[in-house]
Amino acid sequence: MKVVIVGAGEVGFHVASRLSHENKDVVVIDKDSDAIRRISDNIDVQVILGSGSSPVSLEDAGIKEAEILLAVTNSDETNLVACLVANIISPYTKKLARIRNADFDKYHAIFRDHAPHIDTLINPEIEVVKTIDRLMNMPGAVDVGKFANGRVKFIGINLDKKARLAGSRLDEIPVLLGKQGPLIAAVIRDEELIIPGGDDRILPGDLIYFISEEDKILDTLKIFDKYAEPVNRVLIVGGGRIGSRLATLLDDKPVYTKIIEKNPDICARLAEKLNKVVVLHGDGSDQGLLNEENIQEMDFVITLTNDEEINILASLLAKRMGARKTITKISKFSYFPLMSMIGIEQVVSPRLSAINTILQHVRRGKVLSSISIKGEQAEFMEAVALETSEIVGTPLKNISFPKGALVTSIIRNDNIIIPSGDSIIEPDDRIIIFATRRAIPKIEKILTVKLGYF
Amino acid sequence: MRWRYILNVVGILTLFFGFTMLFPIAVGLYYNDQSVIPFLKSIGITTFAGLLLHLCFRGSKVDTITQREGMAIVSIGWTTIGIFGALPFYLAGGEFITFADAFFESVSGVTTTGASVLTNIEAISKGILFWRSFIQWLGGMGIIVLSIAILPFLGVGGLQLYKAEVPSPVPDKLRPRIKDTAILLWKVYALISLLEAILLMIGGMSLYEAMCHTFTTMPTGGFSTKNASIAHFDSVYFDSIIIIFMLLAGINFSLHYQMLRGKTLAFWKDSECRFFLGAVILLIVVVTFNIYDTVYESIFQAFRYGAFQVVSIITTTGYATADFDQWPAMSRLILLLCMFMGASAGSTGGGMKFIRVMLYFKYCYKELFSLIHPRAVTHIKIGGKVVPEDVTRSVLGFLGLYMGLFALCSIVLAGMGVDFVTSFTAVASAIGNVGPGFANVGPAQNYAQMPYLGKWLLIWCMLLGRLEIYTIIIFLVPEFWRK
Repeated sequence: MKVVIVGAGEVGFHVASRLSHENKDVVVIDKDSDAIRRISDNIDVQVILGSGSSPVSLEDAGIKEAEILLAVTNSDETNLVACLVANIISPYTKKLARIRNADFDKYHAIFRDHAPHIDTLINPEIEVVKTIDRLMNMPGAVDVGKFANGRVKFIGINLDKKARLAGSRLDEIPVLLGKQGPLIAAVIRDEELIIPGGDDRILPGDLIYFISEEDKILDTLKIFDKYAEPVNRVLIVGGGRIGSRLATLLDDKPVYTKIIEKNPDICARLAEKLNKVVVLHGDGSDQGLLNEENIQEMDFVITLTNDEEINILASLLAKRMGARKTITKISKFSYFPLMSMIGIEQVVSPRLSAINTILQHVRRGKVLSSISIKGEQAEFMEAVALETSEIVGTPLKNISFPKGALVTSIIRNDNIIIPSGDSIIEPDDRIIIFATRRAIPKIEKILTVKLGYF
Repeated sequence: MRWRYILNVVGILTLFFGFTMLFPIAVGLYYNDQSVIPFLKSIGITTFAGLLLHLCFRGSKVDTITQREGMAIVSIGWTTIGIFGALPFYLAGGEFITFADAFFESVSGVTTTGASVLTNIEAISKGILFWRSFIQWLGGMGIIVLSIAILPFLGVGGLQLYKAEVPSPVPDKLRPRIKDTAILLWKVYALISLLEAILLMIGGMSLYEAMCHTFTTMPTGGFSTKNASIAHFDSVYFDSIIIIFMLLAGINFSLHYQMLRGKTLAFWKDSECRFFLGAVILLIVVVTFNIYDTVYESIFQAFRYGAFQVVSIITTTGYATADFDQWPAMSRLILLLCMFMGASAGSTGGGMKFIRVMLYFKYCYKELFSLIHPRAVTHIKIGGKVVPEDVTRSVLGFLGLYMGLFALCSIVLAGMGVDFVTSFTAVASAIGNVGPGFANVGPAQNYAQMPYLGKWLLIWCMLLGRLEIYTIIIFLVPEFWRK
């Protein structure tokens, strides 16, 4: 499968790297020669130096043979024009564009049905705000993703020292609880991903990923000694695009919200738009201001400025001054591994959510969605089991699954089944598979067709 | 540097190389000559050594490799292949008295140089001669490129390895994935080779001769199975076929690919190719008029031999149909110049490569231009595209290093007691992967009488030239070894 990516920024780079690892033919276009150099030095893809919105560059990139065009430059306009040009040269290429301007929010459907026929418009900021909302309602969760229209969620939590399950073996858990425990798909320990078996233990400090039904989540979290605490007071630092979206969302909720912004003009605009939210003009890393605004009473401090170093420091400061929880926006991927070490628990990244959205559209077969977990080492994929696929009709234990892949749940009609080795997948079941990066291409193959079907 | 992984890959390469020795065994068996036993021994030793390396260092899986590691794998890999490629020669004995002789012949083969230590080639068994040609063919498009195409495991570091083996100032990938690019290049290479072999057979060569000569024309190698090289056949047909295929081999293979896909003007549209073909025609005309009357009586004879020698040297093949060492000084100097310029980037030829020479000329012009118009804003353009400043800088650095190493090695070789012309032309020819030089290493001579250490120096020069300086020389930089 051939994919043309316009824009070699952070999102373009990571999507290209992921797709190239999955043996797809990738061509990247960018007009910045340094960005192009960085890609061609590191990733096995073809690069073209030129403007992504130019028909010449797109023709050079072989847009006519491409199945998908991803327009992910920093400029909404370039992305739109690239899709428009591609629509003329190669109407059958699927098009994805990253559009961040909120003015386009209402036009996603129109852009799909009319020229330039963009199949998917991605606004990572909307995704990030949704993620923040989910994280706030999920005690202790550091990572949340949803499947089946939100009915099934995967959750990542850090296991506390005092948790009663800490140190126990997976096969002991049902005995300890007196009932079936949640399906633990993965454990991240010292930055290494482990897919645990029955005789593996979960240890304090582990980042544990499990699957749960929406309405049982709070019960499941109690198993890990995470109790829901109501969110009453929230402080947002940074009134940029994400900050103002989040503030607007919280404006309608019974949450007492304050927002701190450095730029007086933005403050004025926010105050105009928001009703209940208190808009404060000042520096989010100013101890005096934070003290004045009762930082120690805050349930959540969410740092969303455009400067990630400031976000990190402001979150650390808030935590130190007594805020209960913090959520930090970070864009640089190289910082992710550091976060838990320096004591920042919950992190959101517009780029990571853009990458997730893009990848789920690129996936072949009947993959409905796919979400990377922290650090991009693995993905949860939701797919429809095709009648022709290898996985249908045989007990799971007899299917030769690639190493590092696991069926974590089966959704049949309205029931959610946590599978065992004897479970059989029926045609049109929705399944949620957890797969490490290495196993993804093989999983894709298994999901499409039986070998020799044609 | 993860040496375990590097040695593991080198082990797999060696193992793979060992299996290619099955081809000369088939030839040896067919002609029932005495080369079969040495080959069986070599295959045993090579595969055993490869397997041993691989097994000792296996389990060192990595996700990506660095540029440094890529360079280490390629240069260690090439040296190792040179050593194991020498085994059949050494074990067959005969004129290969010391291991250095066999190693010299083997490295001269894989680097497509074509310099030989043999005095009487025709006395050697057919199996060994086939091997001599075959390793040139493998080395021409690149043993690493072949491995990337065939062996799945190299997919991880394929990109870095490819860049270390096929350094090019302007990298061009034919396909988004390096593996597909490698497969495509080898397909084009094999296809053109097949065409040449057929044309040579139509002219009356036996299958064996046609294959051996194709295997040394297409990589611009230059080994022949005859003492008198191509002059042995003394045929206008063979001369012209070989001239055409030497030229094709000296042109960027991505242009061949475009031609095969129906873009008939590909050669003309590429500015390097235009410059290359233009220079070849100009030099042929000059040499023809220079040797007409002084060496050859008819203008046709002068053109036939002039064209063959110029093309053979400029594409760094190194075949000969005339003893150009006896030609007038002007023609000899032109041929010496050709040894340096070499063929196009992305071809199988050696030398500095025309694109770099072209860039150098444009750079000089730009400097002169800015003396006249000190405030002018100018760019160096190739094919209508601006060449980035750092590419120009790296090309100038390359040319400087090339000339510097040439000068240094010539002096060292002369210090070993080799005479003036022989020492510097031998080094120029080795770094340029040409083959023959002048005086004692002229087309009618060979490298047998080189001093023992001189052979080792030239072996190093040949590897230096084939991997385009940086990949080999980086080992001598102390910074490379620093943790």
